Amino acid sequence: MPTPTSSLSARSRAHARFADPGRRRGMLIAFEGPDGSGKTTQRKLFKEWLKSEGHNVVTTKWNSSELIKPLVKSRKALRVLSPEEFSLLHAADFRHRVESVILPALWAGQTVIADRFLFTGLARDVARGLDLDWVMNLYVPLLWPDTVFYFSVSAATSGMRVTSTRVPNYYEAGQDVTAVDDPIDSYHRFIGRVIREYESLALIFNFVTIDAERSIREQHDELRRLFREGEQRPWSDWNLDAVSEWLARRDGNT
Amino acid sequence: MTARRARLIAVDGVNSRALVASAQKIATQSGAARGISRWDASGLFEQLLVADDVSTVSPRLLLLLYAADLAFRLRWEIEPVLAEGRHVVAAPYVETAVAFGRACGLERKWLNNLFRFARKPSARHVVRTAAGAARSSAGFVEFACAQLERRDRRLARDLASRTRKHFSAR
Repeated sequence: MPTPTSSLSARSRAHARFADPGRRRGMLIAFEGPDGSGKTTQRKLFKEWLKSEGHNVVTTKWNSSELIKPLVKSRKALRVLSPEEFSLLHAADFRHRVESVILPALWAGQTVIADRFLFTGLARDVARGLDLDWVMNLYVPLLWPDTVFYFSVSAATSGMRVTSTRVPNYYEAGQDVTAVDDPIDSYHRFIGRVIREYESLALIFNFVTIDAERSIREQHDELRRLFREGEQRPWSDWNLDAVSEWLARRDGNT
Repeated sequence: MTARRARLIAVDGVNSRALVASAQKIATQSGAARGISRWDASGLFEQLLVADDVSTVSPRLLLLLYAADLAFRLRWEIEPVLAEGRHVVAAPYVETAVAFGRACGLERKWLNNLFRFARKPSARHVVRTAAGAARSSAGFVEFACAQLERRDRRLARDLASRTRKHFSAR
């Protein structure tokens, strides 16, 4: 962990690296939204477009840390996770990806696309009855994306799109908190709560809301336009704590 | 007849062997001979050990996992015993993790928030025995030091001793 001196040095280096107008800095773009909102389709189209524009793109998905995912998966299969354990393990997975995938890529000037970000944890955990402040602090030091695209759909649309093709799994359906035996019924109830939380977060954190009920082409064109606008914005020092802590550890200045 | 008040007794320290011995002694004295909750009851850390690359873990990540394990212990080992009106000894409990986090330079505010879900113990004991060697399967502090040594030797150096000092400082 950073000592005051090394932390200062890491902060200076982080600022110099990301705020340098002479080089293309790493950018972090998050795709958020309920299941069935079409964000994965848009994420894939967007990635191809970014590559065609010369970006070196890295994708990271929710709950995909090679180290932590197996721990979560085995416990999900046994259906033994309490909301707190569920929340803490997903925060651990996220932390591992921030330190081993996201920050190294941003430092190297790559563009990172996150298929779900910490807001997924916030929305789902709060929908499970946990306190927003407690959950958000699990993710400190916070790493803020340059842009969060929020794919907005109604609970009815999400429910219809998801349940028409498959049966949601136990935790996806929120059966651990709804106490509803039927996963489809449970999903319909739970996703309404998740969407309510997402909509609150969208206001608090100024997400860019995409109307995901529109055509795929229309949504994609809007993403391109919004990304081009956001690309011109300077780096925000909001992320200095997260970057400098990682940098200090990486360089052994602790 | 007066109902006995169930007590949660927290025992913390950096030396897992001394911690276990002390927990057993305290449990016997307090009439909680079978009510001891130990680190990694959930098996999270044991499972982590068989992963390909544990060297990428950071103090924050280890503490998030510690908290997840503690949530498991509270749910399955501690609360049920208390609900039966019996005493239970938790060794280690919150203070071990907080002292470790402080020794790693993490903010007290973050650590306090992390363990906000944990029930406040009725009594606290700190085992002040010096740390054992960094080993993967002994106790949390030994485990954490062993993992951090692989990648971050400057941080891991004397970490167990620094953790111990944070108990003294409280």
